[in-house]
Amino acid sequence: MRTKSDFPNINAKKPDGMRPEGTPFRVLIVDDSMFVAKQISQILNSEGFEIIGTAKDGLEGVEKYKELHPNVDLVTMDITMPNMDGVTALKNIVEFDPKAVVIMISALGKQELVKQSLLAGAKNYIVKPLDRVKVLERITSVLKNL
Amino acid sequence: MRVEYINPFVEAAFDVLKEVLNTDIKRGELYLKSTSKPVLGVATIIGLAGDVEGRILLDMAPDTALKIASAMNMEELKELDELGKATITELANMITGQAVTKLHDLGFRFDLTPPSIVTGKDMVISDSGVEALIVPIHLPQGKVEINVAIKEKA
Repeated sequence: MRTKSDFPNINAKKPDGMRPEGTPFRVLIVDDSMFVAKQISQILNSEGFEIIGTAKDGLEGVEKYKELHPNVDLVTMDITMPNMDGVTALKNIVEFDPKAVVIMISALGKQELVKQSLLAGAKNYIVKPLDRVKVLERITSVLKNL
Repeated sequence: MRVEYINPFVEAAFDVLKEVLNTDIKRGELYLKSTSKPVLGVATIIGLAGDVEGRILLDMAPDTALKIASAMNMEELKELDELGKATITELANMITGQAVTKLHDLGFRFDLTPPSIVTGKDMVISDSGVEALIVPIHLPQGKVEINVAIKEKA
């Protein structure tokens, strides 16, 4: 019988969601769309990230961030959400923790808001529709440059 | 209503549906729908306000919505539950987002409302003073109608 050990190279690549010492990066997902939140968690889970929390709007996102701090390594932040939009939530999080790592998730057509977010301290952005390669590329490039 | 308003939506719907469903799609003939005709059953509405005003409707039969949501989630959904509706809403978001970029490039300035999804049999959506232009798009999962009613602000 062949076991995994017969194919040592297949799984040799270190998952993107792990730090060099083997602990996962912890992610807070802020998105009002259940579909998008699920898509992001599936992509990140498959690479070993740990989804430490999810929030349905900006207000809840800010609260969760404060509650989980300093145990959040990365926030994915939707832009258009009810109660509090993503740009305002980003500003609140950065005010609370200037070292916060926030990546904006945007639909096309929100260039102005993306620009505002980057000026307000977002580290990068991803435009929907999301695909695995795009999401992982943007997130790992941010984490590498910390 | 000027036909140039609908083209960006049709092009965006084409691009987005092709990308998320990874499939071949065909465009049907443009037609006018009187507002007294019922919609197909699962309708996502996004409002526009600014230089132009009106609304976009992404309209499809419940069965088509379920098949599209299943394909986008890469799992078979049994009913159009909260996840299914969130998926269709997101589809509408992606399409309008892309279309609006094109319209902004043409010089139109307006904002969008967040999408609302309505489901039910024999629903009629009435738009006062503006007729709806419709472009059906044919997919393996069924037909999706891009239904656009926009007018320039008086």
